[in-house]
Amino acid sequence: MAIPLTVIGGFLGAGKTTLLNHLLAQDTGLRFAVVVNDFGDLAVDGDLLAAHGGDTVTLANGCICCTMGDDLFLALMKLLRRDDPPEHILVEASGVADPRPIADVAVLHPGLTPDAVVVLADAELVEEKAGDQYVGDTIHRQLAAADLVILNKCDLLDDYDQNEVQQWLAEQAPNASIVRARRGEVPAALLLGSGLATERPPKDHDRDHDHNHGHEDAFRSVSLILPAPLAEADFLEAIAALPKSVLRSKGIVRFKERPGRWVFQLVGHRHEITAAEGPASPDRLVFLGTPDMPGEATLRRIVLGIEEEKND
Amino acid sequence: MSETVIFSARKIITMNNYQAEASHVAVREGRILGVGALDDVSGWGDYRLDDRFADKVLLPGFVEGHCHLMEGSIWRYHYVGYHGRTGPDGTVHAGLDSIDAVTDKLARIEAEMPDDDTPLVAWGFDPIYFPGRRMDLSDLDKVSSKRHVVVLHSNLHLLNASRSVLAAANITAAVNILGIAKHADGQPTGELQESAAKDMALDAIGLDYDTETSEKCALKNFGRLACQTGVTTATDLHNSLSEEMVGNLVAWTAEDDFRFRILPAFAGYGMPAGQGVARLAELVKLNTDKLRFGLVKLLTDGSIQGLTGRLRWPGYYNGAPNGVWNTGPDQIDAMVQAYHDAGHQIHVHTNGDEASEVVINAIEAALAKTPRRDHRHTLQHCQMADESQYRRMAALGVGVNLFSNHIYYWGDEHRAKTMGPDRAKRANAAATAQRLGVPFAIHSDAPVTPLGPLFTAWCAVNRLTASGYLLGPNERISSAEALRAITLGAAYSMKMDHDIGSIEVGKRADFAVLEEDPMAVAPIDLRDVPVWGTVLGGKVFAAQEGT
Repeated sequence: MAIPLTVIGGFLGAGKTTLLNHLLAQDTGLRFAVVVNDFGDLAVDGDLLAAHGGDTVTLANGCICCTMGDDLFLALMKLLRRDDPPEHILVEASGVADPRPIADVAVLHPGLTPDAVVVLADAELVEEKAGDQYVGDTIHRQLAAADLVILNKCDLLDDYDQNEVQQWLAEQAPNASIVRARRGEVPAALLLGSGLATERPPKDHDRDHDHNHGHEDAFRSVSLILPAPLAEADFLEAIAALPKSVLRSKGIVRFKERPGRWVFQLVGHRHEITAAEGPASPDRLVFLGTPDMPGEATLRRIVLGIEEEKND
Repeated sequence: MSETVIFSARKIITMNNYQAEASHVAVREGRILGVGALDDVSGWGDYRLDDRFADKVLLPGFVEGHCHLMEGSIWRYHYVGYHGRTGPDGTVHAGLDSIDAVTDKLARIEAEMPDDDTPLVAWGFDPIYFPGRRMDLSDLDKVSSKRHVVVLHSNLHLLNASRSVLAAANITAAVNILGIAKHADGQPTGELQESAAKDMALDAIGLDYDTETSEKCALKNFGRLACQTGVTTATDLHNSLSEEMVGNLVAWTAEDDFRFRILPAFAGYGMPAGQGVARLAELVKLNTDKLRFGLVKLLTDGSIQGLTGRLRWPGYYNGAPNGVWNTGPDQIDAMVQAYHDAGHQIHVHTNGDEASEVVINAIEAALAKTPRRDHRHTLQHCQMADESQYRRMAALGVGVNLFSNHIYYWGDEHRAKTMGPDRAKRANAAATAQRLGVPFAIHSDAPVTPLGPLFTAWCAVNRLTASGYLLGPNERISSAEALRAITLGAAYSMKMDHDIGSIEVGKRADFAVLEEDPMAVAPIDLRDVPVWGTVLGGKVFAAQEGT
């Protein structure tokens, strides 16, 4: 089974490390690997680093942190060759990297599958940086490559300014969904698609949690049971019409036109449909979105509405 | 006491001002004991007169300030370049003047290979000499229908792969990612640029530059090429210096027949500056007379001909968007400061003039915070700097190592496509560096272009492109200035000028042994001056006997 690869991009200081630290502190139930330029401020135990020869650390929960040195491709191949390969890989792109080509390896390598390009933007500084003489064009390239833009450090701006910068970002990142955050606090599901997995309800994670990550009210998720196979063309049309407040969706679907069960994944404006593996489970779609994402009834109407009319 | 040997020569060009020319040089304990006429150098006691160089011309051993050990390892593959090139074993590989000539040669090689799955790898190909069309899959079909065939381009950023390699790398018409060249009908041509596609193709044939560079034959081959070209000291100007690599270097450079001095520059961008500073502190303890750690290499932009260099306004002449930062300005600032504060000498790759500006800014800031005399931080390549940037370098004590070979190999390309006719005239502006007092060296960046300081000097002196165009005549320098740049100039750029770079009492007895006097030949013939071999620490190495 190909391992999903998520790229975390964004300029130096946008909060990539903070975001990863927040992710590492959560119990996601998934054994993921984080590939970084350097351990630097990453919240992993320094003693662990020494014990593992410096470039790879396995955490108590099975997650792996490793550095890419000057060759990301080699670092990824090393992860794939492990006896216990991770279930998901996140790559922290350098502050000046165009994150899209980093995800390209997952397009070609059969052991990997591209998940999402997530770009962090510092709410306070992104516009100024985008006008910078030396790095302005780099920032624009990063935003244009994004499936998801995390507008970070929103706590530093009032509502008016947040709206203003979000509007500006929407023009720079036409292919992306934009989500506001502070201190890099976003649910693991946004980065990993986990919790959107069909095998378990997405709420489990938050309910079991004993400390507040501050994102419970900033995101919502909705789960739809699909009673019957879908008409593929209508479904794709419905997906294209989803409101921008939907950030991610994942699930198992069946289509009238072709046999089999299919994994559907949506990140930002990009979706993918691949053959499903593993034990049968009910057809279900899970949506993760911003607080203004429509509720279950509306989403059901959008996704299944056309379906129901035709069945009438 | 060790033996004293006095070498006599037709002429000794010393690069030493108080005695520019001489006929004899006395050597003891690997060092220069005296220079002058026989009478001047024979007063130190018993000696043996060695007159094998009586009809030769001695210069200080050439110093290549920017090249890579890969110049030694790449020869395991088949050379298919446009220009003839001499291999480590002395074989002259004729230049190939058409795509068909390349595939003919590869087909002949393939026919003699065992019937197994060994890939066929070639290198040195440069499509700019074949403007009519690009090499594609149908060309490599003629080489083999089933064997993996890969043709690396001379810049090493691009390659052409055969159908079987594309299949192994899952590259099809349906794949839409960067770096896969396609025909108008959407089918891949087989040409892959620096990208995941290229990584996958190289992985499919099991090619790994880093490992190969750390193998012993890389060093042996480099040593042979050094001997053929008069080089006695070279950098490996980007080395991640893994434990294995360091162990190999320590062991092999200590062997008796090791025939050059090497300064591997630590690739500072592979780890946080704090860790790098600590690592270098450990490495310099291993320094010997032939192996010297301490240089730091940082990286800013890409390459100009690859359109990845960072240019100031008005950017690329052909309208291509500005290039990429491999290390961004903020990080460059932090890294320069950290290595500067720790007392190291920093060499920074900058191709485009915007990259040069960012590094000059970083060094200016580092010096403001931590004043330091004689740091000799050096901009490497620095191909597009204008006069104002040279003035700032002079004011800050920054040196430059210019990529003079580019004038010949890519000068036409720079006029037509990247810099345009105007800015191309100031490419690798050695005369400006000289005039404004910026310490300078000139280099080959081997294996990107061949190792050969006399050729590099020829480029700086004549500034002729491959098509014969005189590119920026005002930036030409004299033969004497160019010869200084490939000896003392390069030694200065790596803080070795107290030890090598001139033929002067107390310095290492490192000589380039030439068949003719490079000062006496016409400047246009400088590149054709034959090299007999080298002397390293008093030990003689003949290029022709190379084993």
